[in-house]
Amino acid sequence: MYPRIFTLLLLFAAMPLQAAQLTLSVGDISAPSFAARGVTLSLPLDGSAELRLDELSVAGRHWRKVRVHCAGFVLSTARLECRQAKLNAAPDLPFDFSYDFGTQRLALELSAGKDERWRVDGDFHDAGWRVNVQLRNAQARRLATLLPPEQPLPTQGLLNGMLQIRGDQDGLRRVQGAVQAAELAFSDAAGLHAADKLAGSVQFDAVRSRSRWDWHGALDWQRGELFWQPLYLKGAHSLTAAGSWDGGQLQVAQAELNRLGVGRVELSALWDTAKNSLLACDLHGSDLQLAPLFADYLKPFLVDSVLGAATLSGRGDADWQYRDGTTQALNLTLRDASLEDGQRRFALRGVNGTIPWRAAAATQAAVSFDSGALWGVPLGSSQLQLAMHGLEFSTPTATLPVVDGSLTVHDFSLQRGDGGWRWNFSGQLAPVSMPALSRALGWPEMSGALSGTIPQVSYDGREMRVGGALLFRVFDGTVVMTKLALADPFGPTPLLTGNLDMRELDLGQLTRTFAFGSMEGRIDVSVQDMALVNWQPVQFEAKVASSPGSYRKRISQKAVQNISALGGAGAAAAIQRSYLSFLQDFGYNRIGLSCVLRNGVCAMDGVSRKNGGYVIVEGGGIPAITVMGYNRAVGWNELLERLKRVLQDNTQVVIQ
Amino acid sequence: MKRWIGMLLGVLALSFSAATFAAADIEINTPGVTALKQSLRARFQDLRPYMDSGAVGLTADGLLTVRDASSVPLAARQALNGLIAAQNGDRNALYKEIARANGHPEWEGEIRSIFAQRWIQRARPGWWVQSGGGWVQK
Repeated sequence: MYPRIFTLLLLFAAMPLQAAQLTLSVGDISAPSFAARGVTLSLPLDGSAELRLDELSVAGRHWRKVRVHCAGFVLSTARLECRQAKLNAAPDLPFDFSYDFGTQRLALELSAGKDERWRVDGDFHDAGWRVNVQLRNAQARRLATLLPPEQPLPTQGLLNGMLQIRGDQDGLRRVQGAVQAAELAFSDAAGLHAADKLAGSVQFDAVRSRSRWDWHGALDWQRGELFWQPLYLKGAHSLTAAGSWDGGQLQVAQAELNRLGVGRVELSALWDTAKNSLLACDLHGSDLQLAPLFADYLKPFLVDSVLGAATLSGRGDADWQYRDGTTQALNLTLRDASLEDGQRRFALRGVNGTIPWRAAAATQAAVSFDSGALWGVPLGSSQLQLAMHGLEFSTPTATLPVVDGSLTVHDFSLQRGDGGWRWNFSGQLAPVSMPALSRALGWPEMSGALSGTIPQVSYDGREMRVGGALLFRVFDGTVVMTKLALADPFGPTPLLTGNLDMRELDLGQLTRTFAFGSMEGRIDVSVQDMALVNWQPVQFEAKVASSPGSYRKRISQKAVQNISALGGAGAAAAIQRSYLSFLQDFGYNRIGLSCVLRNGVCAMDGVSRKNGGYVIVEGGGIPAITVMGYNRAVGWNELLERLKRVLQDNTQVVIQ
Repeated sequence: MKRWIGMLLGVLALSFSAATFAAADIEINTPGVTALKQSLRARFQDLRPYMDSGAVGLTADGLLTVRDASSVPLAARQALNGLIAAQNGDRNALYKEIARANGHPEWEGEIRSIFAQRWIQRARPGWWVQSGGGWVQK
């Protein structure tokens, strides 16, 4: 507080009489956190004064060409007074300043318009000094020049209230304040921390005894909006808190946060102000509304995760205990909660349960849900018991109703590894009827049932794999799936790979299901080296062939036409010209069609080669028909289009 | 002499990797690429005004980021975060899928660089792009 004056030049310039003035030129003044260069005080003889500073630095802030003009200036042994003063940086805020050397009282009053007033009164007479600041309709934007420019700076709004600072020879002793804000707006340069139309009040009181401050305060944020990347919050928040600060650690002994529509959260915490880190925290919330809690405070941090498009609802209690840089305990109670994915990939409804998680102890969670869905497959009501030990979760057995069947899960385990969360289980699928499943998924209604043993399903943080073979029955035949893997299951382009072998499917059921035109017989379908990206095939080697054995083999004319249409131009030219076109169905010896899909092109073949083409339906019996294909390479999309036309509306099929 | 041999080997290694990589088909079309491009195009309609206003800029690593949100209403800034996260998710998936479709998942980084340059080259006048650690307006 004692500026070291490097140079002091007093110039008494001989001026012409009509412009006589006294000019004090104080070169540079510097002190810790304070520096002024090129300081000049001019005192014209009309009673005014002008103070000029080429550069001014206070606490890291810098200003250039600062000028204060006092319309009335008095300097005597008793007092210093500057009336109707103007600062060039804030010409619209004239002020009066006075300091009484005897009483050591300071008064500064800034006012603008008829309403705005900033008043500072200082009394330094006693050992216990004090400064009072009163604000009346004070424009918050004026504080912007005083604050560090990298912080959010106020751009508008009015402040009313008071600030009282008391101190003694040891420094600050007590700071009290009560300020109301209206229509307050602030923003940082990038607009990532900003607020608009804030209304509310803040009160605080901090008292020092030796090196420790005890404080309490209250914040009532009534209206307005705040964006604090990535959070966006609206008013109706209130906070009361009390604690202490010893210069190194800030203790929040107790705090209570209320948010209208969410509930009340109580917390205590210990913050290391030097290291800027949380040392300990206890948080407790009862009967919280989960929908706004999740949407406003959690989801913004989860935009890149599986929960990025989810909504949560219901009610819940939470108890969180944080020590030594990590969560030590988390108790969650859910009451009638629901989790829904916006992209309809998963859902759980009517969730109830308690999850008493501990970082270093074994506990049990009990959770039940009324219904759910996974990739559109409906799940029924279930009750789950989960053993928890740190980041390892397991359950020996659980049964999930799936459509009208069920999945019994054995030895489920989930743990957090280096590559993220990993899990695995084995299971048993009790018959899920295909008609019900196809209805649930919006597919054409298929007959049969899905059942079988699932040797092992595992997820390594990136890819879901089914070990062994999945076996189930559809269309009176069997389906075996092997080497099934799904990479990036919840990503934008899931990749499904595997092999599929179907044996002895009933062609009658199959063709009725897909309105293809009636066929009788049995077929085997083999799809090897299959890859689906975003559920669309990108490669496979597929083969459809009549099953071995003896059974009735008939094909309707409509089916012949449709197969021909799939085969492309020229495939069924023979039918139209022959008398066979008058017959409704024919016998056949065998059927075969294969497609090797690579790079969007299907390389096609049939049961055998003949006359530059390939045989798709080899005739046999009476009357018999042979259907040929001639296009060996067909674009996959073109083939899909043909199939769609065939399945949608048979009358549109053009046979060339 | 050793230095020269080292340089020669370096040049050879570079030309080898360039030659190997030159085989990558950036325009490769798979259902994944088609789905991602459709999704990117659809979302771009919502992002376009933010690119025009300078609120969002193109990064040097083939993604988008908030450059200056001041012109965006407060209530829309969080939604803008979501849009950018989704668009970046699709862009990352596109680079990965093109590398996979080329049969070389390890090419993802190079494909990302090629796309980053392409997005920046094709940026409309007035858009902001990252260059040399700073922002430049096209």
